[in-house]
Amino acid sequence: MLAGLVLGMSAGLTAPALGQAKIQIGCTATSDCASAMVAVDEGIFKKHGLQVEMTPIAINSNIPAAILSNSIQVGGPTSTVFLQAVDGGLDLVAIAGASVMNPTSNTAIAAFVRNGITIKDPKDFIGKKVGAPGLNAFLHVLFVKWLVEKGVDPRSVNFVEVTFPTMADIIKSGGVDAVLTAEPFVTRMSNAGLGSVGARYGAELGRTDPIIFYAASRDWAEKNVATVKKFREAVAEAAAIVNSDREKASASIARFTKQPLDLVKATPPNQSEPNLKPQNLSWWIEVMSSQKMLQSKLDTAKLVLN
Amino acid sequence: MSLDRAKPLLLPLALMLAFELWARLTHLQSDSLAPPSAILAALATALADLSIPVATRDTLFAAFAGLAIGSAIGLALGIAFGISRPLDRLMEVTVEAIRPIPSIALLPIALIALGFGYRMEIVIVAFACVWPMLIMTRSAVRSIEPRLMEVSRALRLSAPQRIAKIVIPAALPRIFVAFRLSAGIALIVAVTVEIAINPIGLGAGIMLAQQALRADLMLAYLVWIGAIGYALNMLLIAAQRRLFGRAALAGDNP
Repeated sequence: MLAGLVLGMSAGLTAPALGQAKIQIGCTATSDCASAMVAVDEGIFKKHGLQVEMTPIAINSNIPAAILSNSIQVGGPTSTVFLQAVDGGLDLVAIAGASVMNPTSNTAIAAFVRNGITIKDPKDFIGKKVGAPGLNAFLHVLFVKWLVEKGVDPRSVNFVEVTFPTMADIIKSGGVDAVLTAEPFVTRMSNAGLGSVGARYGAELGRTDPIIFYAASRDWAEKNVATVKKFREAVAEAAAIVNSDREKASASIARFTKQPLDLVKATPPNQSEPNLKPQNLSWWIEVMSSQKMLQSKLDTAKLVLN
Repeated sequence: MSLDRAKPLLLPLALMLAFELWARLTHLQSDSLAPPSAILAALATALADLSIPVATRDTLFAAFAGLAIGSAIGLALGIAFGISRPLDRLMEVTVEAIRPIPSIALLPIALIALGFGYRMEIVIVAFACVWPMLIMTRSAVRSIEPRLMEVSRALRLSAPQRIAKIVIPAALPRIFVAFRLSAGIALIVAVTVEIAINPIGLGAGIMLAQQALRADLMLAYLVWIGAIGYALNMLLIAAQRRLFGRAALAGDNP
């Protein structure tokens, strides 16, 4: 019955969806897709002959399914979400780079510890309850990698999920001992006197690998080679603005994320890097494989569209 | 009389006032709480810039369309199962196997099959609304006075005539209760789908406001959804009274 309902409705309503020439880009409310946001606002996509609309997506791990359903043609998954989706059998391909880790964004990443807990050494995290914005997501995977590098068994740390907007309240109530977070939350929580930075694990890892990149279904990307080429050119042009013009970047980020402009301006956006090479993904594959998050052996050459 | 009417409002108003005072005295700094004055201001702004009215349209359209489809399927199956015992027994295992599936658990499949938008939401709302309608209609049809059915046989009514002239009129008050129940479920499921996946409507508005660290706007959406749910229920109770008289509300505490 349900299948009938689903089929009936898809038959009745897919026709107009297929006819659209507009590209939908789905991203979460962060600064990572700033190049696409700026390209929309500054008319760069239009200049390259592309009609683009951006869709806010609540949870990053929904992006692969949204791409496959053709609700969005291009999405901004994190490296971990993308690799897990491909590992799980979804035929996605990266088409351009969005954001990469750099010294500024790495310093913005921190394990913020509540009052009453002191962390002097990575071993002090043993037995603590640590809130991550998503288990097996970007900040969690990086933190586990850092623990392993420091000789701490990640299984000795108790991880729970705590979303960014609830972090301050949960740290305040003592619900968790620490949260894995980033700016502007670190400064906000520090200023409110809720605790202190326990570890700058992003800076200690000091990586320059991709955080988020633009991905599409292989089918769509191969059928729309010219569009992908224009998309890359537009994103490259906009990335230069993101990295050099904080005012324009902040305005576009605030418009898309609906965050107050002052809050957006307070934090530098993650560095935009439009070029993505297959080898840029090998560190993530190695880290995720060592954390047993990937089942198959992924071929980096197939993950990025030529 | 007016004081009597105002009495139920005293407790929520006092609580809101206490919360406002507490928020001001403690200089509340939170990304998930906001004082009532800020919530009302955010609500007024979002109503004025049409973001809440547009989101309300999206949510209600999906909820009502799903409710209509789900109720129609539930009603048809409920009447069929209520009239025909063999059919009911034949379908029992199938129905009982599908019914306990939480509608939200269908989200991942629905997203891949249907994509974002009204379609996915309508299908999931319809799935959730089928069951209360089916089960209550079936029991309503079964509890129809046997003499009425005897009369229908004596009058040699055909099956469609029997359903139209005897079964539906006799079972209608209870079917309407099922409809009211389904309407509440429809709104809950529609907003949940939007919070979890679908980037349209009031649920998506809550998520976006939360991620933008606008606790005031997020709670404004919440207050608005509460008001819509309340208004919807009031509307349905009024319709029920008008259509079936007070007798229809016997044993029901609105």
